[in-house]
Amino acid sequence: MHIDIDEIAKTFGATTALHPVSLSIPSGALVALLGPSGSGKTTLLRILGGLEFPTSGRVMFNGQDATGMTVQERRAGFVFQSYALFRHMTVFDNIAYGLRARPRGQRPPKAEITRRVTKLLDLIQLPDIASRYPTQLSGGQRQRVALARALAIEPRMLLLDEPFGALDAKVRKELRQGLRDIHDETGLTTVFVTHDQDEAMELADLVVVMSMGRIEQIGRPQDIRGKPATEFVRDFISA
Amino acid sequence: MSDATLPTFRTATEEAPLLRIALIAIAVAGLAILVFAPLAVVFAEALRDGWLAAVESLGNRDARSAIHLTLLITAIAVPANAVFGIAAAWFITKFDFRGKAFLITLIDLPFSVSPVVAGLCIVLLFGANSAIGSWLVAHGWPIVFAIPGIVLATVFVTFPFVARELIPVMIEQGRTEEEAALTLGASGWRTFRTVTLPNIRWALLYGTLLCTARAMGEFGAVAVVSGKIRGQTATMPITIEMLYNEYLSVAAFSMAALLTALALVTLLLKTLLELRHADQLAATRRH
Amino acid sequence: MTMAARPLVHKTAMPGLGLSAGITIAMLSIVVLLPIGALLLKGASFGLTNVLDVVGRERVMASLYLSFKLSLLAALFNLVFGVLLAWVLVRYRFPGKRILDAAVDLPFALPTAVAGIALTALYAPNGAFGSLAQQVGLKIAYTQAGIFIALVFVGLPFVTRTVQPVIEEIEQEVEEASATLGASRLHTLRHVILPMLAPAALTGFALSLARAVGEYGSVIFIAGNIPLRTEIAPLLIVIQLEEFNYDAAAAIGIAMLVISFAMLLAINLIQIVSRRKMGHV
Repeated sequence: MHIDIDEIAKTFGATTALHPVSLSIPSGALVALLGPSGSGKTTLLRILGGLEFPTSGRVMFNGQDATGMTVQERRAGFVFQSYALFRHMTVFDNIAYGLRARPRGQRPPKAEITRRVTKLLDLIQLPDIASRYPTQLSGGQRQRVALARALAIEPRMLLLDEPFGALDAKVRKELRQGLRDIHDETGLTTVFVTHDQDEAMELADLVVVMSMGRIEQIGRPQDIRGKPATEFVRDFISA
Repeated sequence: MSDATLPTFRTATEEAPLLRIALIAIAVAGLAILVFAPLAVVFAEALRDGWLAAVESLGNRDARSAIHLTLLITAIAVPANAVFGIAAAWFITKFDFRGKAFLITLIDLPFSVSPVVAGLCIVLLFGANSAIGSWLVAHGWPIVFAIPGIVLATVFVTFPFVARELIPVMIEQGRTEEEAALTLGASGWRTFRTVTLPNIRWALLYGTLLCTARAMGEFGAVAVVSGKIRGQTATMPITIEMLYNEYLSVAAFSMAALLTALALVTLLLKTLLELRHADQLAATRRH
Repeated sequence: MTMAARPLVHKTAMPGLGLSAGITIAMLSIVVLLPIGALLLKGASFGLTNVLDVVGRERVMASLYLSFKLSLLAALFNLVFGVLLAWVLVRYRFPGKRILDAAVDLPFALPTAVAGIALTALYAPNGAFGSLAQQVGLKIAYTQAGIFIALVFVGLPFVTRTVQPVIEEIEQEVEEASATLGASRLHTLRHVILPMLAPAALTGFALSLARAVGEYGSVIFIAGNIPLRTEIAPLLIVIQLEEFNYDAAAAIGIAMLVISFAMLLAINLIQIVSRRKMGHV
């Protein structure tokens, strides 16, 4: 699914989180929104996911206006920065949540849910943790469960907010490759937010550098490294 | 310093043993006089003429009607307050809006209003000599000197209990779990039922418990709005007053003992909740 | 113009805005705001001079003075005893501590009418404590001393419950630092610990005071209710209502409301200042 962001702006009270920004994301791309905190990257991601609504501008999915579409209708697999796993549910129930939340007619039968959850647990290479609770998992395991939970709903796109932010350097490296693999396997249009330029450059096909609610530059990693468009980009990537 | 010659085993953050013993003694004695003695007196006075007399005094028609009425009022007021508390906590913690601090102040307002003044306010709004009250009476729905007034007074005095317990817990838990449920396709109601409610259940139970204790025992506000009609609008606390003023000491204290027993059960449940679910309660983490 | 453009509620995907806001505002209005509005309206239609006239009556003034004086004394007692109790319950280990801790909440759980008749039975001249007092020539029940005891009872848990969590969070290093600097234990308690507890203790004091000022059930049995001597302000409201003097009842009610808000406001200000001095929280 390709995504078009058309002159999206967002204000919170007196503060402006996003000046009108436009961005086109081709189907199947792996895109990084890169910028320091307060640059508006998370706000943009939440607008894509339907958690926030823009003050003005439009979001288009496959050329169709999706600006007013509810969060449930969007079917965006969203991975939260702190993972937001349901702490009172087992890993299995967390992953099955989206399938069980479907309206009765579309809800898969029990056996099918079990099959799919098992398959996802295999995909994230944690086949044995189904009956554990989130507090019994390591940070890296939690991140992968959150990813599996988002994939369970057969999302139309994958949105990740600082997916590696809370992890130590070694686990971070491993999971980067994991995300790349899952992206390549599913072919989902994927957008992730990060403040870590190495992460963005290493992982993404397309990097969007943001600052103060504006897009500074859009380009392939090597273009951004080779030809920074603004003073800000130059400073930020050399930091 | 003469201290230097004494061997001391206490660390730098402890008081001298004598001071410690003195402080503990003051605390124990103070609570014994102020709390345990009144508690003991209730049961002693109730049982002054033996078990039989105490139980018998609770069996007559007026006493049974009072017990029945108090249970009815509690059964209406507590759920009403729980619904309000959940709605208010949801509104306050899940949305950003102007005037939030002011709204919280208004919710806390009943804590600083005397129950008698609360009752007075309800009488002035719904009493027979007010515009609303006379219209309601004319249409056969009296509020004051009737059960609706007692419910209203009870809800007033217990108003902040559930909301105050839930708000800090829900602020701390944040919004992301609900957001995650929504992105997975869950409806609003389903999100509340399967994600929010399990996370706040102990806090909700705790607030409801405090609310129940206060609702069963409310006296001042109910005294003003109920009209104290024996067998009709006399709740248990009001009946205690009437019996006491008629020098029916055993009957008064028997009913008091019954309310006290309920209060002790409340206290026990509350303590159990604090021991087992301290991490999920606001009260035990309040700063 | 920019103010007008700012939305009242920031719109997100979170569901239930209309429902939760609707229930909150409807119930708040029906249960709390409209009744209090009715009281103020009654006062307004009665007229300010008439309200002041009623409040200025000797019996009313005496009852208001009595209510606030004894509430203040009871809250002060609870401030001292409550901090002591909190300290003992957090820092010391001794048998029965858990029961003691639970018992602190009993005044919250016990209905006020029950507390009222129980305290009266204890402190009446023929009661357990009352007869002891009489031997030394003291009369407690049916005097101001009795009212004081009832107000101490109902306000007892507030200070302890607000101060306890603060004591639990004090880092022992602070106390150790004080000791390494040569301070005696008492000096540390007075100059290091107590100032840390002050804001919470003050909050508890304010809550205890507010509760005592409005208290009715536990007081009327033990007070004796002698006009000008042991008659509390809430009782005067009840008496006026029983005589269908709605205007006079409203006047006294408004006076109580105004005075207790003024006291709470003053204490909140003190608290803000004392917190600012501490630099955080």
